[in-house]
Amino acid sequence: MRHLTKKHRVVVTGMGVVAPIGRSVGELVDSLLSGRTGAGPISTFDPAALPTRIAAEVKWTGDISRDRKMSFASEAARQAVEDAATCGSMPEPEGGLSLGIGLELFSMDDAIAKNAGAELPIERRERLTFLQTPSDLCVSVLAARFALTAPPATHVSACAAGTDAIGGAARMIARGRRRWMLAGGADSMINPLGVAGFCSIGAMSTSNDDPARASRPFDRRRNGFVLGEGAAMLVLERQSDAEARGARIYAEIAGYGTSFDAHGISEPHPDGRGAFQAMSRALADAGVEPSAIDCINAHGTSTPKNDIIETTAIKRLLGERAYRVPVSSTKSMIGHCISAAGAVEAVAAIGCMNAGWVHPTINLDEPDEGCDLDYVAHTARRHEQQYVLSNSFAFGGQNASLVIRRWPSTM
Amino acid sequence: MTLAGLEQLAVTGCGHVIGTDWDSTPVLKSRKMRKFMGRQDELAVIAAVRAVEAAALPKALGERCGLYLSVGFIPFEGADLAMLVEASSAEGRFSMERFSTTAFRALSPLLTFRCLPNMPAFHVSLNLDVQGPYSVGYPGIGQFYLALEEAASALEDGTIDVALVGGVADQDNVLVQHHFSRIDGPIPASTLSSAAGFLVLERQPDADRRGAAWRARPIACEIRYCPADPFEVCGRHEERTAIRGDSCDVAALGPAGLAVAISTASSGRLTHSVRSRDRFVASSEWEIA
Repeated sequence: MRHLTKKHRVVVTGMGVVAPIGRSVGELVDSLLSGRTGAGPISTFDPAALPTRIAAEVKWTGDISRDRKMSFASEAARQAVEDAATCGSMPEPEGGLSLGIGLELFSMDDAIAKNAGAELPIERRERLTFLQTPSDLCVSVLAARFALTAPPATHVSACAAGTDAIGGAARMIARGRRRWMLAGGADSMINPLGVAGFCSIGAMSTSNDDPARASRPFDRRRNGFVLGEGAAMLVLERQSDAEARGARIYAEIAGYGTSFDAHGISEPHPDGRGAFQAMSRALADAGVEPSAIDCINAHGTSTPKNDIIETTAIKRLLGERAYRVPVSSTKSMIGHCISAAGAVEAVAAIGCMNAGWVHPTINLDEPDEGCDLDYVAHTARRHEQQYVLSNSFAFGGQNASLVIRRWPSTM
Repeated sequence: MTLAGLEQLAVTGCGHVIGTDWDSTPVLKSRKMRKFMGRQDELAVIAAVRAVEAAALPKALGERCGLYLSVGFIPFEGADLAMLVEASSAEGRFSMERFSTTAFRALSPLLTFRCLPNMPAFHVSLNLDVQGPYSVGYPGIGQFYLALEEAASALEDGTIDVALVGGVADQDNVLVQHHFSRIDGPIPASTLSSAAGFLVLERQPDADRRGAAWRARPIACEIRYCPADPFEVCGRHEERTAIRGDSCDVAALGPAGLAVAISTASSGRLTHSVRSRDRFVASSEWEIA
């Protein structure tokens, strides 16, 4: 049963990623399946005495703009567009952009310089990045670079933004409002204010002496997330267009659902109401029953609150079957990439699905009470999948889920 | 691009707030939450509650209501910045040692919540029990038009029955003022206003069924985009609003401008057009009751 208002099926024909454990889709999937961690001591700045001094950083050796997420987004977009064009053609003109993007508050060096009376730089590039780079600049730069002439959507729903960007783009294409879109997320909050801000609300792991084992979703000893960074971009287009130009199809974005918890600023609804609603709506949008879901890429942050509530919501969604469906957390290896998380995890889900594997949740030594599902602890597992559910739940109770369907030609 | 099912859309309630002379306390479900709220959050809640009251809808909107919002540039208060600078400086330069000790100890955890761009959406959802779908865009009037597009599409396909469509910007703070002072054709702080505007959108037959009068109806809407690299090409912002042919100026209200114009307009035909600095070219025409 397909959603009656959908005019088109939406397929993924290109993917690109920059992540802490891989700067290409192939490298990321290989790393995930081998259970590699990207976490380590922070090297991009000296965290001095901050309570958290570890993160999952992108190992970036190329040029970088002042704003890391812009460099990550540009590279992921380049990969995705080139990937989509391997058949010798690109999608039709009139493409659009849908980007989940993080915020950069400001550079402390610049803030102190400004306070001391420094003038704004004269040259436009420096002027626009002095003190703070407005996050929408990344949208404008990508749209110009890839000649994306449809009105772009900028999603700032924090930890759900990457998933919202992909789901929102898919919805626009499915309803016939856009022809094709470059969709994904980019973020880096591994900077003094970003790390201090998350430290101040007690959200991050302080296991500084053992960074590789700090991100441990669903484990009894989890004590917060490890901050990650990166970007992932997907080329989404109508199935009919993709087939007409002979493009390789990786997967279908079959469903998308969102919801508000309308509950707590940093506390999920105790019954997992919002998470359940987002997942249910994504399934309804895809026109499939919960019984169709073969695997879940969890939000799985490694925070005390999220992991139990997400487990509760999954049980409500899948019933008794919840105990037999693999649920794994990409964040156990790459940390929490915030506004990029949903996009990187969608790429991870598609890559692993097409390989016929589920990646592990690493560091899950002793599941917490209440975390009693099959989280694929430690080691990847061979598992054929037709439908994968991918979750992203934000501070402020904004919940987003995608249903991703394996494309027959990839089997 | 236009709005799906435009001829079926009705604005049944509008709410707005401008400037800094207001008090959010009377409209908050829980006054305790005020400490978590930045000005942008408070502006959004006030305008949204006013719009819902004007539409004579209950203040528990539930699963069949979606929230579609465009928020302004990330705000940060001067006093907070001054504290961070003071507590992080050593010999006129940034000291990570001081930042990670003195400044970090003085850093209020609430500050993180007050400047996150998705928090206006959270506070509106909390105070009006919105449990439906959402989109949160950034940072200008172009994204408000996209919010309208998303809301209209969700109403047309039956995903929701009520859409709260809003724009909000706290522009009376150091970070936003810095932004507007550095762009091509800089804008003085004195000309910027903080504002929020919300529209309650419904399908006309639904509004008729519950006996709700329409406040405004869209007649035409067009949303286009002309990409250009902002590092290479100057951007200019041109925005025009007119009611019955008489112009009114809402350009200083950022993403809230159109919703405020509709909310404040007297009967007649309202036109709005914008060529924004971030390359949106959008226009709309509204019949005002």
